[in-house]
Amino acid sequence: MPRPKIAAIVTEYSPNSHAQHIVDRFLWGYSWRGHHHLPPVDLVSIYVDQADEGDLSRDRATRFPAMRIYPSIAEALTCGGEDLAVDGVVLIGEHGRYPLNEKGQRLYPRYEFFMQIVEVFRRSGRSAPLFSDKHLSWKWEWAKEMVDVSKELGFAFIAGSSTPLNRRFPPVEIPRDAKVEEIVCVATGDADSYDIHALEAMQSMVERRRGGETGVVAMQALRGDAALECLARDSWESGGLDRELFEACLCRSHMLMPPREGFNHILPRLEDIPRLLDGSALAYRFEYADGMKATMILVEGLVHDRTFAARLKGQPEPISLLMSIDSFNPRNFFTPQVNAMEQMFLTGRPTFPIERTLLTTGLTAAGVESLWLGQKRIETPHLAIRYQPTEESTFWRN
Amino acid sequence: MPRLKIAAVVTEYRRNCHAQHMIDRLLWGYPWQGHHHHPQMDLVSLYVDQLAEHDLSRNRAERFPKMEIYPTIAEALTLGGKELAVDGVVIIAEHGRYPRNEKGQMLWPRYEFFMQVVDVFRRSGRSVPVFSDKHLSWNWDWAKEMVEISKELDFPFLAGSSVPVNRRLPAVEIPRDAEVEEVVGIAPGGVDGYDIHNLEAIQCMAERRMGGETGVVSMHALRGDSVLDALGKGSWDAGGCDPELFEACLCRSQTLDPAREGFNHILTQVKDFPKLLSERAIAYRYEHADGMKATMLLLEGVIHDFTFAARIKGRRDPLSLLFYIDSQNPRNFFNPQINAIEQMFLTGKATYPVERTLLTTGLTAAGVESLWLGQKHIETPHLRVRYQPTAESTYWRS
Repeated sequence: MPRPKIAAIVTEYSPNSHAQHIVDRFLWGYSWRGHHHLPPVDLVSIYVDQADEGDLSRDRATRFPAMRIYPSIAEALTCGGEDLAVDGVVLIGEHGRYPLNEKGQRLYPRYEFFMQIVEVFRRSGRSAPLFSDKHLSWKWEWAKEMVDVSKELGFAFIAGSSTPLNRRFPPVEIPRDAKVEEIVCVATGDADSYDIHALEAMQSMVERRRGGETGVVAMQALRGDAALECLARDSWESGGLDRELFEACLCRSHMLMPPREGFNHILPRLEDIPRLLDGSALAYRFEYADGMKATMILVEGLVHDRTFAARLKGQPEPISLLMSIDSFNPRNFFTPQVNAMEQMFLTGRPTFPIERTLLTTGLTAAGVESLWLGQKRIETPHLAIRYQPTEESTFWRN
Repeated sequence: MPRLKIAAVVTEYRRNCHAQHMIDRLLWGYPWQGHHHHPQMDLVSLYVDQLAEHDLSRNRAERFPKMEIYPTIAEALTLGGKELAVDGVVIIAEHGRYPRNEKGQMLWPRYEFFMQVVDVFRRSGRSVPVFSDKHLSWNWDWAKEMVEISKELDFPFLAGSSVPVNRRLPAVEIPRDAEVEEVVGIAPGGVDGYDIHNLEAIQCMAERRMGGETGVVSMHALRGDSVLDALGKGSWDAGGCDPELFEACLCRSQTLDPAREGFNHILTQVKDFPKLLSERAIAYRYEHADGMKATMLLLEGVIHDFTFAARIKGRRDPLSLLFYIDSQNPRNFFNPQINAIEQMFLTGKATYPVERTLLTTGLTAAGVESLWLGQKHIETPHLRVRYQPTAESTYWRS
């Protein structure tokens, strides 16, 4: 088989942007299984939407003459010709100067880029596998359309966060025959940016529960004091969460802020949390069609990592873990994500289900919507997304 | 069973020293398996050799009135009475103002503390389990005597670094039936401080090879340019190490400096090392009695983590891994070490063989000696330390 040719379509290629971490790995390789792995694909074309201050794409094109910069997405896909001339596309619509809407969503042009890509697919009568970074779009209808188009044209499509693909401490999955009653994720960041990472972390765990995924029926987002009040109520029914799950998450964190400086392992009490926070807490409470309850809590300052806990029916102890993202340079957490893309390009099959990211995209948008409507509980009939997980685990174990 | 009483004997107790990390965990607990775990024992007495400028021991004694500070080691062990009055002893002689000898070894009073501890044991006609942090002593003869006394008085004795009990990425052991031809370990740091961590990392892996441990017959330590020369030689027989093992270690690192600023995954080359090294490189090349060759490298500045690779007979690919030491606050890498100490106190059995640390103590001293003699190859007949590993793995997997 000839080496697949890949096009990268990115918003900007600046130091430490997602584009740099991902595209640099295609060019120079990365460490994998104790070797310096050179991807068996050729990055032949790149489109950069905003290539001004700090741009690295021209430097990279000089160092890698096989990779050419094109002024439009269509030309990057056709390599300047008439028809699709690549075997795979990497779409990275993260970083860059794009406006915020009135709900606080960053209007990254992921859908717009995607539509220009599929336009070339349609016109060429041929499609190629596509990766799209983070959530599919800030807008649910567009995300849905992207997945529908991928099905219609029959191309492999993966998307999402790197969190589901990284290492887990301990390295466990929810057993395929487990009924899951309630889940909690404690993480960092804020709405429309880090919520997607936490939601993908949760979804990559729970999609393996008995029956697979059934979709989400309702969402309520809470911010600030309302989120903290939720933590103070000790059951889902009373508007809070299973406290043992919350505590399990804190106890899985490797970066839990001790409530007293200079001490190490004091477990913070609820009353300690407000003064440890940088910014306001955010909670998304959502209910799945099969009855599972979920709480995503972003508590920037209290922790600096992502942890997960689940209450399994019939098990006295929750299952809990840290979804490890090693933030040291050279940011190896991008490594399994690039490897998952390569696998798709080589096999022509998605490495994990796009429906996972369709659902988490919808959850992100629903969370933002609930906040916008004054932290109102909203029904989410459009999120009745059913899918099955991959047979094999896809997190980093080698 | 009544709760065990534990004595701690430490050089100093200030912020971020080993004593703080370990004793604070015994006092306040620490997260373990998704719970905030409180050790089922009471720390009742403490001896602190040097009151540091920001000593924390008095603060801790106020917060935990059960724990009393005693002016001597003997009194800490007898709780001010005549005879041994505790069920376990933790010796932490790391940090504090102690002299260095002409060979550059820090003269931590580990042996001296140990001898005062066993003096109480002898006088009381009764002994209890002892943990001693890091290598047993800077002096081989003393280390040997410590282990012999523990056998003579028949008490469980545990020592060493936290690296062997931490997580491994991936989570693997050397198979018990594997013949291991050559091993390489890479770590940061310098002689008589971090060499012991790296030697313990290498040894906890290698001790599981076919036949168990047979001891070490010779040591050759190199410093500075001679290390870089050795890395260019292409094989053990030529004076270097197996380049594939060396590269596997670099590729398991999550903190490999990319040599060119602003790039991520360029596999760093040995020719780049001089500008990356912030201390002179160190290599300990040593041969085990069963023929296994070992190279321990300290490359401060090139990497900031602990990696290992082994050439197993009959296997094409080396086995390689990262010893995951999460250096973020609150430094959870002390958790599995404290847990191993607790297990010893509760079961009355050493959690892993003290012979491992006897051998690594001897290797540390032999490395220092070889450097002191002008990087001379020395025979080490005294290091014929034979032992078998535990049946079960003892690294952090839960």
